[in-house]
Amino acid sequence: MASSGFQADVKALQKHLAARHLIYQHQHNKQMSCPAMAQLLSNTLYYKRFFPYYSFNVLGGLDNEGKGCVFTYDAVGSYEKVGYSSQGSGSTLIMPFLDNQLKSPSPLLLPARDAVTPLAEAEAIDLVKTVFASASERDIYTGDKLEIVVINADGIRREYMDLRKD
Amino acid sequence: MSIFEYNGSALVSMVGKNCFAIASDRRLGVQLQTIATDFQRISKIHDRVFLGLSGLATDAQTLYQRLVFRHKLYQVREERDMKPVTFANLVSALLYEKRFGPYFCQPVIAGLGDEDKPFICTMDSIGAKELAKDFVVAGTASESLYGACESMFKEDMEPEELFETVSQALLSSVDRDCLSGWGGHVYVVTPTEVKERILKGRMD
Repeated sequence: MASSGFQADVKALQKHLAARHLIYQHQHNKQMSCPAMAQLLSNTLYYKRFFPYYSFNVLGGLDNEGKGCVFTYDAVGSYEKVGYSSQGSGSTLIMPFLDNQLKSPSPLLLPARDAVTPLAEAEAIDLVKTVFASASERDIYTGDKLEIVVINADGIRREYMDLRKD
Repeated sequence: MSIFEYNGSALVSMVGKNCFAIASDRRLGVQLQTIATDFQRISKIHDRVFLGLSGLATDAQTLYQRLVFRHKLYQVREERDMKPVTFANLVSALLYEKRFGPYFCQPVIAGLGDEDKPFICTMDSIGAKELAKDFVVAGTASESLYGACESMFKEDMEPEELFETVSQALLSSVDRDCLSGWGGHVYVVTPTEVKERILKGRMD
């Protein structure tokens, strides 16, 4: 889960979800799948509808079949499964470029089209690095360093990249 | 809603190799209602200077009329066209005259200066100039335009490639802004010709 906004609320939210995940593991003897965690996050956020967590989240992971999924949220728990998303102060700079490169089908189309974007892992990582470099140029709050968490069948790994330090 | 967002607008200008492109969206709205889908935001001052005005449409029209008047006067007195740098200074001065009751516009000026060197600049509503070597943006979709242009821009693009880049940047950015869109208007200017093209984008 990647979160932007008020860091204290982000920390509290992550702590809450980690605790709920641990309980799930004790009760069900398995890890939560991404769609399950997506619903839990939504419910957790809406629970505080009238005193919200000031946290703008993007959830990424693998579902039960091992396919990648991305869920995007607002601060009170409205969520949607998408092919790509961005949140935070740099999101207005990043989203149009992702739209242009990834051309995801509209969720209103019938029959419903899969939102998964046709990118290989290396291409996706490259795209992420490009958009963050661009966002750091023009958004004063974005920069310093980038952490990319890559989740695939082999497990989880982290990659780091330096960004503009101003 | 801010007064700058009353009509909705998107403007972008980019520098290429001995050329420049200036592009705008075509929507004119009154808050959320769309009034016109063929609104001209970019005007030619003379063959080598183009002016785009974003923000409140009534102020854009008034400012444009005042600038055309001043430029015609300049042509009569100096017997030549204004250089883009000079024109930018004129716009800046006119805007600062109204420092405590400003025109609610953000202009984008693009032109070919001495030795056909492309010149672009933008300014805020009270005339603070921002010169740039690569691109300038203005309007309600400006943040989206910053992101798109920053990712797509390359140095020294030829006119055809510049046209493609400006068009893609403009269309993807206005698609994320509800107050601008309904197609695009792109001018690509080289020392020898001016190519004006209309883009078809999402009509919503």
